Amino acid sequence: MRIRIRHETSYAYASPARSALQFLRLMPRSSDGQFVRRWRVEVDVDARLDRSMDAYGNITHLIFIDGPIERLHIVAEGDVHTRDMGGVVSGTLERLPLAFYLRGTALTHASEPIRLFARRHLTAEGGDVLAAMHALNSSLFQDMAFDVSATSASTTASEAFARKEGVCQDFAHILIAAARSIGAPARYVSGYFMRTDRDDQEAGHAWAEVHVDGLGWIGFDPAHGMCITDQHVRVAVGADYCDAAPVRGAQVGGYDEQLGVNIAVTQGQQIVEG
Amino acid sequence: MLSRMADSLYWLSRYVERADNLARILDTAQRMAGLPSNYAGSTNEWESVISTAASTAAFSAQFDEVTRANVLHFIVGSQANPSSILSCIATARNNARSVRTAITSEMWETLNDAWNETRTADVRAMSPSDLSRFLAMVKEMSLRFDGAAYRTMLRTDHFWFQRLGTYIERADNMARLLDVKYHVLLPRQELVGGSLDYFQWASLLRSVNALTSFHWVYRESLQPWLVADFLILRSEQPRSLVSCYKEINEYLDQISDAYGRQGASQRRARATLARLGNANIDRIFQAGLHEFLEEFIADNNELGRNISQQYLS
Repeated sequence: MRIRIRHETSYAYASPARSALQFLRLMPRSSDGQFVRRWRVEVDVDARLDRSMDAYGNITHLIFIDGPIERLHIVAEGDVHTRDMGGVVSGTLERLPLAFYLRGTALTHASEPIRLFARRHLTAEGGDVLAAMHALNSSLFQDMAFDVSATSASTTASEAFARKEGVCQDFAHILIAAARSIGAPARYVSGYFMRTDRDDQEAGHAWAEVHVDGLGWIGFDPAHGMCITDQHVRVAVGADYCDAAPVRGAQVGGYDEQLGVNIAVTQGQQIVEG
Repeated sequence: MLSRMADSLYWLSRYVERADNLARILDTAQRMAGLPSNYAGSTNEWESVISTAASTAAFSAQFDEVTRANVLHFIVGSQANPSSILSCIATARNNARSVRTAITSEMWETLNDAWNETRTADVRAMSPSDLSRFLAMVKEMSLRFDGAAYRTMLRTDHFWFQRLGTYIERADNMARLLDVKYHVLLPRQELVGGSLDYFQWASLLRSVNALTSFHWVYRESLQPWLVADFLILRSEQPRSLVSCYKEINEYLDQISDAYGRQGASQRRARATLARLGNANIDRIFQAGLHEFLEEFIADNNELGRNISQQYLS
């Protein structure tokens, strides 16, 4: 499937900022399941834009802007061809050993209820990690309420699990915490999901990848209760949200910041397979 | 467009590119053979020409000994060898004639001139300087042909198939050249990253016109893994495998956009480019450069077959 993505982030300051620094993880890499046909990242002010790569292998852009800045508009846009790989993620750039992804983080620390939840499913599936992950994935989808106002970017997996509500980020954090607690390496993925009901979205999507022996990385999307499909576009991975967040930034001066995000994920030209 | 026409355009470019690569390999071999043996090492340059051209079996069926004269006869002029330089030019010209209306007059004239000038070439009578002149002429033909295509062809499927042929062939030649040279230069596994014969590596780079550009990109002395990195993974280098696959993907995508269909060719080309894009030269050396290149060559051949099945037959 060809997916066209346009991700706009805009900042406006009531009093101009003196300078600003933005760190972007807005550029997808090609792998077996997705091919980035065209992609560009643009900023609408005079700025230095440095492209680099972080420890996970994500493509990063660092933007330095000398102010005064009243407004800033960042656009990441492109076309990606995707293929349904049945959830398997292969052909990716791997820079860290698997053991790294077993380590908990502040956002993905597994509380006792999460550990119990994970172990219960692992026992029910007779110790089969893959089956347990599928079960955990659907169980989160069924039991958790998707509510954009319930949590924030700093909500931990344990808090969200206790409240049984959250957004895709919280769903992913819980699944990651659960997977690591039963010894499966897991990581956070930020990206895009092509919805069939509408084009415009307020936020990108996030899900989890779990490494299963013999199969490699498998993408689980607990917010939709499924494995990743050709509707998912992977952009960045990390131990948790903080390491894979699409945009992070800081500025000197400038208060009353207004942040606007507009994401459009649409299906591109229809192409017959065969 | 008829698949017969696409086929001719595609193979036309493959043969031009093949002739160009053979000329470059011979040029380098001649240069190496002229060096004192303690510079050039004890390897037989002419033998590596035959293995780079992937024609060891065909050669040994015809000749007993690997000598300069035999190799030149086989690689430059042999009618029995369908991939000799003269055969390549003749086949390219034949293909061009059959799709004369699909190519521009500049392209046709370049091929026709080259064919006229070379078909009477007497390989056995060639002195080293005659050979140099002859090889320069072959390389000039491919430059002119490529330039003519780039500057004069309409951007339609004619152009895209013509380009596809060029890059599939270039990727294949590049990978095989690297594979052969790697074995010649580093016959023992433990020597990887060890001592280095400057002239051998320099000649490998020179054969693909990349010696000066290597120093522009790396600003350090020749190291085996840097040479491999340059010729496999660096997109600055226009002949690198990754550059070839960027181009291949570009043209396959143009074709699939225009036809509204995509298939095995697109899938394979995308997967290969994604793999190259996520690769790292240290890891390639750890897993074995030879294995990597072997897999690449097989994959590239498979892509050629995919393209044939999808479009050319």
